[in-house]
Amino acid sequence: MSRRLITTATTVLTALTLAACGTGSTTSAPSSSTAGASPSGSITLYSAQHEDLVKEWVDGFTADTGITVQVRQGKDASMGSQIVAEGAKSPADVFVTENSPAMTLVEKAGLLAPVEKATLEGVGTAYRPSSGAWTGIAARSTVLVYNPSKIAEADLPASLMDLQDPRYAGQWGAAAGGADFQAIVAGMLAAKGEKATADWLAGLKANAQVYQNNTATMKAVNAGEIPMGVIYHYYWYKDQAKTKEGSGNTKLHYFKGQDVGAFVSVSGGGVLKSSANPAAAQAFLAWITGPKGQQILSTSQSMEYAVGTGSASDPALPALDSLEAPTVDPSALNGAAVIELMTNAGIL
Amino acid sequence: MSGLSLRGVTASHGRHVVLRDVDLDVTRGSTTAILGPSGCGKTTLLRVVAGFHRADAGLVTIGGTAVCGPGLDTPPERRGIGYLAQEGALFPHLSVAENIGFGVPRRAPGRTARIEQLLLLVGLDLEMGARRPDQLSGGQQQRVALARALAREPDLVLLDEPFSALDTGLRASTRRAVADALAAQGVTVLLVTHDQDEALSFADQVVVMDSGRVLQAGPPAELYATPADRLTAAFLGEVSTLPGTAREGVVECALGRLPLVTACSGPVEVSLRPEQIRLTRGPVAGTDRSPAKVTHVDYFGHDALVHLVLGADTPVLARTVAAADLPSPGEVVSLDVLGPVLAFPSP
Amino acid sequence: MRTLQARPLAGPSVAAAALVVATVCVLPLLVIGAQATGQGWGATRAQLLRPRVAELLGNTLALVGVTVTACVVLGVTAAWLVERTTLPGASVWRVLLVAPLAVPAFVNAYAWVSLRPGMDGLGAAALVTTLSYLPFVFVPCSAALRGLDQSWEDTARSLGLGRWRTFWRVVLPQLRPALLGGALLVALHLLAEFGVLAMLRYPTFTTAILEQYEAAFDLSAGGVLALVLMGLCATFLGLEYLLRGRRRHTRLGSGVVRRPEPVPLGRWLPVVLAGLTGLVLLALGVPLASLTRWLGSGGAPLLPPELIRSLASTGALAVAAGAVTVVAAFPLAVLLERRRGVLATALERVTYVSSALPGVVIALALVTLAIRWLGPLYQSSVLLVVAYVILFVPRATVSIRAAFGAAPPSLVEAARALGSSPLRALRRVVLPLVLPGVLGGFALVFIATSTELTATLLLAPTGTTTLATAFWSASDALDYALAAPYALAMIVLSAPLTWFVLRRPEEVNT
Repeated sequence: MSRRLITTATTVLTALTLAACGTGSTTSAPSSSTAGASPSGSITLYSAQHEDLVKEWVDGFTADTGITVQVRQGKDASMGSQIVAEGAKSPADVFVTENSPAMTLVEKAGLLAPVEKATLEGVGTAYRPSSGAWTGIAARSTVLVYNPSKIAEADLPASLMDLQDPRYAGQWGAAAGGADFQAIVAGMLAAKGEKATADWLAGLKANAQVYQNNTATMKAVNAGEIPMGVIYHYYWYKDQAKTKEGSGNTKLHYFKGQDVGAFVSVSGGGVLKSSANPAAAQAFLAWITGPKGQQILSTSQSMEYAVGTGSASDPALPALDSLEAPTVDPSALNGAAVIELMTNAGIL
Repeated sequence: MSGLSLRGVTASHGRHVVLRDVDLDVTRGSTTAILGPSGCGKTTLLRVVAGFHRADAGLVTIGGTAVCGPGLDTPPERRGIGYLAQEGALFPHLSVAENIGFGVPRRAPGRTARIEQLLLLVGLDLEMGARRPDQLSGGQQQRVALARALAREPDLVLLDEPFSALDTGLRASTRRAVADALAAQGVTVLLVTHDQDEALSFADQVVVMDSGRVLQAGPPAELYATPADRLTAAFLGEVSTLPGTAREGVVECALGRLPLVTACSGPVEVSLRPEQIRLTRGPVAGTDRSPAKVTHVDYFGHDALVHLVLGADTPVLARTVAAADLPSPGEVVSLDVLGPVLAFPSP
Repeated sequence: MRTLQARPLAGPSVAAAALVVATVCVLPLLVIGAQATGQGWGATRAQLLRPRVAELLGNTLALVGVTVTACVVLGVTAAWLVERTTLPGASVWRVLLVAPLAVPAFVNAYAWVSLRPGMDGLGAAALVTTLSYLPFVFVPCSAALRGLDQSWEDTARSLGLGRWRTFWRVVLPQLRPALLGGALLVALHLLAEFGVLAMLRYPTFTTAILEQYEAAFDLSAGGVLALVLMGLCATFLGLEYLLRGRRRHTRLGSGVVRRPEPVPLGRWLPVVLAGLTGLVLLALGVPLASLTRWLGSGGAPLLPPELIRSLASTGALAVAAGAVTVVAAFPLAVLLERRRGVLATALERVTYVSSALPGVVIALALVTLAIRWLGPLYQSSVLLVVAYVILFVPRATVSIRAAFGAAPPSLVEAARALGSSPLRALRRVVLPLVLPGVLGGFALVFIATSTELTATLLLAPTGTTTLATAFWSASDALDYALAAPYALAMIVLSAPLTWFVLRRPEEVNT
């Protein structure tokens, strides 16, 4: 008697739960697309990009095409690994990242469908991998943010590599646990090799304060808690464009000269082989790398660099080609090796 | 020699006054029972003596030493008292021996011997010492609590209704054991109770309290025989009350003309103990005996309490030695009264 | 019907149901164990013995040591002051000292860090967690003090002990079960805490597991850390069990407990008032001031449509989790109350260990299970609710079990003797007595669910945000103004239920 009651109650409640959280299983709903006809239906986007930027992209895309987009928000590495773990059963149709190593991870697992040729051709060759398995959708540059009241411009390091020097002990901070920073380290690994990178990470462990993200690093520099921080440029420009609350006391230092510290990281976008609606997924990728999508990068105050040919970035930013970034093939960035090195260094 | 004395003690809980100008004297080495209904202030009086509750005014002296008075309030731990709470209050986290030795410094010489001596004093086996309080019966717990209270050889032992939580069977034997142990120590004892049997059998002096005042104090037999008022009479045992008119040492009531213990006059209430009323089966015509009808009988084995109705609706209680021929309900019997009676002016 | 007749509500079917619930709870533990050791003993050993693990262990133990000590000292002192002294307005103080329960710890951390951006490290983490977790010690100790018969203290005083030594030798030992229970709760919460420690940059096992997850999305590396964490949880649970000892509260008969006479504070009153005011200002004033500041900063709309949406999904999830957890806890509670034995105790302890783990660990294990074997459940709210059940089932068990204690079989027998059918006895006697406890359990799970973060981050269906995840994404980006309405919504949602639960203080202490 009591057991039947319990069973019934469980069934009812489970049904209730599903109903209450209606969005629960939309991913399993069939979203059809017929070849030839213009794409329609809905897609699921796994996004590790900034939520506000993605929202503008999605809203613009849906307004233009009528295709609805379910967004699952996450972080580069975990989301990339999640897609790999999900494999062919992944609910994702499109994956966009902040940095390329996570994209490469999915590519190497053989889970990406080739990006449509027209889409690839719309993006500068420096900002997409040679394989064509995915494409760049935006770019960001490494910078050193510093507080002039805490460190004189003349005392700034000439290279990012110098930060391992004992004279910078307690002088700098970084969000070492984040994918942004790991991309920079991946660039270093590609350029300088394993030994130099491991030594540099040991220097980081000894010298640096670890913050939870770039914003926290920048604010700590701004507040004078620490003289310098390694971050991406757009956190600073975004704050400057608004209240300057977190950056008013700071300046940016660009390493330039093809230094590993001048590394430009490419944000990637790709379509999953397993997508149930590949036409719509390809359309989304084409849209965000197209003129409208790239224009949002400059108008939305996301302050990330546009990578579409002929698309302009926000006028407040120094031109991308003036940064003298080192040349790195995004496919060559090895995220897993970086994680291992950082784990060995006791940072993770 | 005074074991305990109170002069003009007044105490209150918040704005509610619970003790009013109480005077009390207890001879050293004697036992005094404070008797009264719940809420009469008897427990507060004990707590004032113990130092658990601060009096508003008055003076308390224990063994000749003032402990409470103007500008003086000796904390309980320095009053040299022993305290036995209503439900024992054995510390549940300590063994019996640890409970008894609680107040004795751990390194005091002869501590173990003292604990064993106390166990024997209260009539418990030595092996009980290792037990936990919850492995003891209620009576054993109270004995341990007493042993604990005596461990520091107090001048004054305070007992707060220590037997009320016990079963009837255990109560008498535990009371006996406690009384013996206390007598052996020769300490001054103050007992608080609402049980008149306990007060009368246990104490050298009984103090009756009501509404924060002392109504009467004296030896048990004196109080029982000559209570000062109706309330005191009622606290000390069963009474039947009959209206009557007193004149020249005699009272006229439904049981006839009866001699008075103390003279008074005018309308009175006659107060009769059940054992003062003698019951004879069958109506007896013509004599000074009054007929009454039995309503029911409480049979106790050794004796019986017979409930009767006198006249139309006056209830009367008679105690009789139990015999084979007890009257049955509905039966009409004759009553007469033994000895002089008490009467109090009608309210 | 026969089971009701013989032993109301404790037939073999109940035991089977309890076994099913416990099995579901233990599944994540098995997955973690398998994943952590799956790469071979050598690799596991290497990961276990690296300096980072020692560092995390040191950090975790230091935080537990400092915060538990602080909570115990402050909690017992505050409880004693409120319950046992002439402190004016004691009932108001009681509410004020319990109210921090309604402010989720990560909201408290947000409040502090947004006012003092530089604060981090052990000191900051200990301060914020102490202020947030203090009620876990205060509530049970205050209830225990209220129920403590004063005759113990009177007796100790009569035996020559001063007030202070009486407290140490008599009161404190009586408080031990309440105190240990509270301390255990604080310790387990600290082990599982993520939000506070991430914001205050104090790495512990849980934050490190999250970092590992963000780096690799699997349990192979994080799993070893989770294994150590499981060991710590089990150690704390065992330690508490050993220290608690056999619980005895022997009173003769069933007389009324003597209402304690309050200790006069005298000249200490100003000091005590200043101390308590300071404590309440830190624990409640700071979060409220900070929230007011950010809400008033005009940096974000007070009622964005996203807030309404996440409020709705949080409410729906919390209701579902509360209801399912209560149902799941039912057989366990009945078994514990009516047929306490080895099986019941073992099942109970199993649910304790799983619930003591951080949400992220349970969630990762469930994701692994779902991807491999439970395809349709993957990223569904059903799986999320299952995670909530695993995380929160002991809260409901404790509550319902206490309620069943209030409806002993003798009452059912009395009803049966008065001519009630078994069903009628259930409806007229058992249910009315049990219902408040069931609602209390529901409320506890509702509150916990509505502020749960890490499991929700991983398991929420695509497109579903809850108040906690929305709050977290805003405060993680250090957008304090945007986070403020969500923080306020979480407080508003859990405050009335906290109040409801606190009328039954024995249930807060699981």
